[in-house]
Amino acid sequence: MPFLEIVHLDKHYGANHVVRDFNLAIDKGEFVSFLGPSGCGKTTTLRMVAGFEFPDTGSIRIDGKDVVDLKPNQRNIGMVFQAYALFPNMTVAQNVAFGLRIAGMARADSDRRVAEMLTMIGLPDLGARYPFQLSGGQQQRVALARALAPRPKVLLLDEPLSALDAKIRISLRDEIRAIQKELGITTIYVTHDQEEALSMSDRIVVMNQGVAEQVGDPFTIYTRPATRFVATFVGTLNGLDARVLDAAAGTVEIEGQTVTLGRPLTAAGGGSVGLSVRPEALALGPGLASLSGRVEDVSFHGPVVRLKISVGGQRLALDTFNTSAFRPPAVGETVTIGFDPADALVA
Amino acid sequence: MRLQHFWAWLSLAIGMVYFFLPLIATFEFSLRMRRGVYSFDAYRVVLADPNFQATFGYSVAMALLTIVMGVVLVVPTAYWVRLKLPRWRPVIEFITLLPLVIPAIVIVFGYIRLYNTSSMLPLTGTATGTNFLLLVGYTVLALPYMYRAVDTGLRAIDIATLTEAAQSLGAGWTTILVRVILPNVLVAVLSGAFLTFAIVIGEFTMAALLNRPAFGPYLQVLGANRAYEPAALAVIAFGITWACMGLIQLVTRLQKHTSARR
Repeated sequence: MPFLEIVHLDKHYGANHVVRDFNLAIDKGEFVSFLGPSGCGKTTTLRMVAGFEFPDTGSIRIDGKDVVDLKPNQRNIGMVFQAYALFPNMTVAQNVAFGLRIAGMARADSDRRVAEMLTMIGLPDLGARYPFQLSGGQQQRVALARALAPRPKVLLLDEPLSALDAKIRISLRDEIRAIQKELGITTIYVTHDQEEALSMSDRIVVMNQGVAEQVGDPFTIYTRPATRFVATFVGTLNGLDARVLDAAAGTVEIEGQTVTLGRPLTAAGGGSVGLSVRPEALALGPGLASLSGRVEDVSFHGPVVRLKISVGGQRLALDTFNTSAFRPPAVGETVTIGFDPADALVA
Repeated sequence: MRLQHFWAWLSLAIGMVYFFLPLIATFEFSLRMRRGVYSFDAYRVVLADPNFQATFGYSVAMALLTIVMGVVLVVPTAYWVRLKLPRWRPVIEFITLLPLVIPAIVIVFGYIRLYNTSSMLPLTGTATGTNFLLLVGYTVLALPYMYRAVDTGLRAIDIATLTEAAQSLGAGWTTILVRVILPNVLVAVLSGAFLTFAIVIGEFTMAALLNRPAFGPYLQVLGANRAYEPAALAVIAFGITWACMGLIQLVTRLQKHTSARR
């Protein structure tokens, strides 16, 4: 039986249908990310779990109990906000102790728990400071400690790293994941950053226009996207227009070059299909399927080199590791690109 | 450039003379009670007057009660309007500004007519009832200042997120208001409180027409019958107002977590 279950959740804002028949079952201790562009309904869904928004229809069950009619302060949920939301009038220790004191915990026990939490987030000596005396990363750590201190059943994080700079974001996401694993707390994490979702989550829910387009583990979401939206939103994707030559044999023509995909196609011979291949699935040199093109641009991204190659009138991105042996082709040079047809999505 | 400076300094000097000359003259006059020498006799007489002590004490008590009533009325209202009814803000602001355009005499006549001894709620029939009526009147008079101060304070903090953070930690509405919202708008509340104090201490119309022993009517009676004491009282009242303004500045500077709002 799932620990957190969202069943047929629906929400409108006036005429705007923001969440459509959303269903999800989350196991105890699982880390699930809601990933999608702005306005896709991920934060609204999270806020309905927290109790800050009321669904039009549907139910939310936590540990077997329907919480839809419960107020936010009755749900035993910890929440971390994008804007930290630390109480400015309280010290770090008072912030962390807030939920404990509300729950009626004795001062001595509360002090002990606060010390534990501050040690856990690596700020054991900053209890007496006020939020404005902390950096953004430290404030978000304190917000995490505050949310976790009352030992909530579920932890909700609403784009908690968006306001931080890149370096801190990377270190903090590792810390959040480590703390979540250590405590084994069921967690929902909202983000529009695919790298965050892919690196932290047990499962990802990719949302678009209020609908969960695909639910799966990061590897499946990235390598086997269920829809074109998932494929384009998660990672970079090359789109190629092709004409079917032989549907049964899976042979297509791209800009006058024949490619055999080795699997039957649904489109009839002479019809058009779209092929999608990730930049890292392409390699310089012949492969199981090959295309010839002209190098238009070479750009360095540290460990990766990205080539932009023109195949007829269509443009492809190709990523290759920047090893010491690698010599990038010159702009204007004609190259052969190879790929495994199994890595190409046909739509 | 220098000519511009000259005009700026000149207008400042004219302004200062305009404001300070009457004050200096009043102060100077208040020191002339003893013939031929300056003395604080007028102040000594005023401060020793049992009526001064009684009326001043009454007005201070009323001012403190007005502040409490104002805070209890305004903080939850302004908070709720900002949090849940943002579309109603212009309406509420308009209502809170009404005491500035409706003269106190109109308000107090309305009270007397509505709450006289032959009405359903005969508040003017007893001293306690009339005191309560005066308290309500003072709260109305101070409403524009208190509401504006608190609303400005609330604008400076993200009340929606702070409220949600507190709710997610198990806090109810009272806890949120008392432990999260109020401490974070304390400077604004104190600004409103000092303004309220200054208004109530010198208020005449309502107290006189409701026949309450307040400091304003005492000032008027003394002014009509004595020469030097009213000048001394005016200086004292002015000093109280300035002290209130100074306290607003002091509290703003002493607030520990002010920088968190920026």
